[in-house]
Amino acid sequence: MSPALQLDATRTESWHVLMQVITSAVELDPRRRLPLVLTSLPELPEYAFDGPPISFIHGPPGRNIALAAGLRAALPATPLLLIMNADAVTLGMNHLIHAARRNMGMTLMILRAEVTDKVTRSVGKRTSWRVYGIQESIEKKATPLELATSLEAASVARGSLEDPGELARIVHESMLTPGFTMVGVTSASNLPTGRLSSTRLPEYFEAYRDWSRSLRERIAREQPPQGPMVIGTTDATATPRRHVPRYEVRIVGVGGQGVKLAGSVLGTAAGELEGLWTTQRGEYGSATRGGPSLVDVILGSERIGYPRADHPDVLVLLAAKSIERHAAGVKPGGHLIVDADRVDGTGATAIAVPMVRIAIEHTGKPLAAGIVALGCIAAVSDAVSLDALKTGIAHNLPERLAAANIAAMVAGYEQTRKVMEGNRHG
Amino acid sequence: MPRFEVMHGNQAIAEGAIAAGCRFYAGYPITPSTEIAEILSDRLPEVDGVFVQMEDEIASMAAIIGASLGGTKSATATSGPGFSLMQENLGFAIGSEIPCVVINVQRVGPSTGLPTKAAQGDVMQARWGTHGDHPIIALSPGSVQDCFDLTVKAFEFSEKYRTPVIVLADAMVSALEERIAVPCTGELAVYERPRPTGSPQDYLPFAFTRGGVAPLAPFGEGYRYHVTGLLHDERGYPTEDSALASRWWEHMHSKIDDNLDDILLYEERHLDDAEVALIAYGGTAMAADRAVSLAREQGIRLGLLKLQTIWPFPEARVRALAQGCRRIIVPELNFGQLRAEIERVAAGATPVEGINKADGTQITPGEILEVVRRKTGPEA
Repeated sequence: MSPALQLDATRTESWHVLMQVITSAVELDPRRRLPLVLTSLPELPEYAFDGPPISFIHGPPGRNIALAAGLRAALPATPLLLIMNADAVTLGMNHLIHAARRNMGMTLMILRAEVTDKVTRSVGKRTSWRVYGIQESIEKKATPLELATSLEAASVARGSLEDPGELARIVHESMLTPGFTMVGVTSASNLPTGRLSSTRLPEYFEAYRDWSRSLRERIAREQPPQGPMVIGTTDATATPRRHVPRYEVRIVGVGGQGVKLAGSVLGTAAGELEGLWTTQRGEYGSATRGGPSLVDVILGSERIGYPRADHPDVLVLLAAKSIERHAAGVKPGGHLIVDADRVDGTGATAIAVPMVRIAIEHTGKPLAAGIVALGCIAAVSDAVSLDALKTGIAHNLPERLAAANIAAMVAGYEQTRKVMEGNRHG
Repeated sequence: MPRFEVMHGNQAIAEGAIAAGCRFYAGYPITPSTEIAEILSDRLPEVDGVFVQMEDEIASMAAIIGASLGGTKSATATSGPGFSLMQENLGFAIGSEIPCVVINVQRVGPSTGLPTKAAQGDVMQARWGTHGDHPIIALSPGSVQDCFDLTVKAFEFSEKYRTPVIVLADAMVSALEERIAVPCTGELAVYERPRPTGSPQDYLPFAFTRGGVAPLAPFGEGYRYHVTGLLHDERGYPTEDSALASRWWEHMHSKIDDNLDDILLYEERHLDDAEVALIAYGGTAMAADRAVSLAREQGIRLGLLKLQTIWPFPEARVRALAQGCRRIIVPELNFGQLRAEIERVAAGATPVEGINKADGTQITPGEILEVVRRKTGPEA
């Protein structure tokens, strides 16, 4: 059943017919919802002044499909009608594939579909660019209708400008169909129209939102939230309870020793629990396990600024790599803490603690070595307290791991105290 | 009363976007910006926003423009290779005056370059990457706090001046964890897009106002208009009228140039008595700041102008600085992209030196001090 389309016989150019098709498609909608038209044809809006007050976007060639993706999110209820030329299957082809695949709610009219349609042949047509004609090119044609069908677009149809009434009905029905719908428009000959698919799928973003909500709920069920976080200081002036001059910490190890985690725990403990300003940065090799790994944490009662520990107040070496380079940088009066089993010959000033061994004893893995190092740091400095570090561990590790890690850190703390005592007497 | 949180730069950018009212993100993952997308994919649905991973960066840029035309504050994040792909639609947003925020966490280029290493090589691409003689705003965060604050500012400027705003970050700040002050709900003055109030018949969505912009009506609220990348009249319809074109250019440039007091953000340290001034931005400003502290401990009169807005370029401030000091030193992780601009402005007033590299390593306070000493010592 075609709508009564009043064709203005004096305006037979295809722009005018096309605009009447759109107008007619809108009038078929009992709710008269105005579509937003995205088009690669800058001429089209000029034919729209007599019709319903439709707004137009003339985006860059091919990009209207991707523009429509954003509009779909921002305006969930507005029908989006795309009227595109061959740009839909050249620059826009990738956007077309993904919009169809996601079943994003929009209706794409591809004009001059005969150029891209497998069914029609227009051998001998020539363009200024390809003098032998598109059809005789050695390339295979793009076949967007078949492509959209194979991607399970919600509906795929074909119509002709030579039967504007029927085309308007097809466009109208396509716009009513939720999801990605496509209408191939030919203008050279009358072709049978056919719906190749009528799958009704929910709008992409609604589906995405529902999916991500359920996913988050599932994660929340599996990992019940921990108790409310206890913040040490939240005063607006950010004044720490005590004065701590810039204090540089560098921990050097290899991948798998928990160096990055140690940096996060120390940063949380000092920054969120002790009320100090902190920065934390790392250098990690591309290998997760075994490559060199370094973390710098800077603490202080004033904003830190530069985040590198070029002259650390305390340097922890968990591995023997680059020992000379790093050890030379330690600030005069600073502390050098080395792993007793892995780093040797660093002189009487080093504090040797078997940090990796302690980690394995308490947790079964070397991954806690960085945490043990934090205990050692707390033993040589009062920049951060053992209590704050314990809470920092609880914030950064799952509950089942926290207790063993805290025990490992305390062991590192005590062992360091013992070694320092020994160094003093020895 | 703000709350204090330890977060990394990419997280601060994501949280800044949420705080500024961003409710749509489209992007394609790329190191070192990926965490921004990861965090927003989780955070946006919580605030009824939409996150979508697009097929590429061209589509990402198009999608955020679409969402913005629908009335939703929107952003994308990328790194050099993706930023190159965005230039086409970035130009569309500039020409059609559509607000949006593009975050570029720079890495060493060209091409795939050094994906995980910090660089500042996209300074000129941020200025001139898309074709045409367009105005642009680019902000460069020099700390994790800046990542939050300048992202909020980027949304404000983009809405206020109806332009894309580029946040030109780098891996020095994006991967850095720092304790920062985060405003609590209601504490932050969020700039909302003004709505047109006149009658739809008289609505001129692209009014060629000097020094300002017309309010942008979201589609579907009764205001009919046309958006095009072609040069257009005040209603948005294409035109080739050269008189209109020249009025359009005047509007486009004056909306930025007449508002420099608002747009130009920078911080100064010890500049009042500085013999040598550093001009730095982004992650390199952290090393410059440390160099100033160390220099002052040694009695060297070194100061710092830390630029947060790099485009438009703060010409007046740099010119005044050039007239008041004996030398300007510009450390940056490129081969002098902003230094050339500073030299242009300082021409004849004071010599300008660069400290430059793009090898994946960073400039240290020690390297800066060495140059300062060499240039100011007895042998200089």
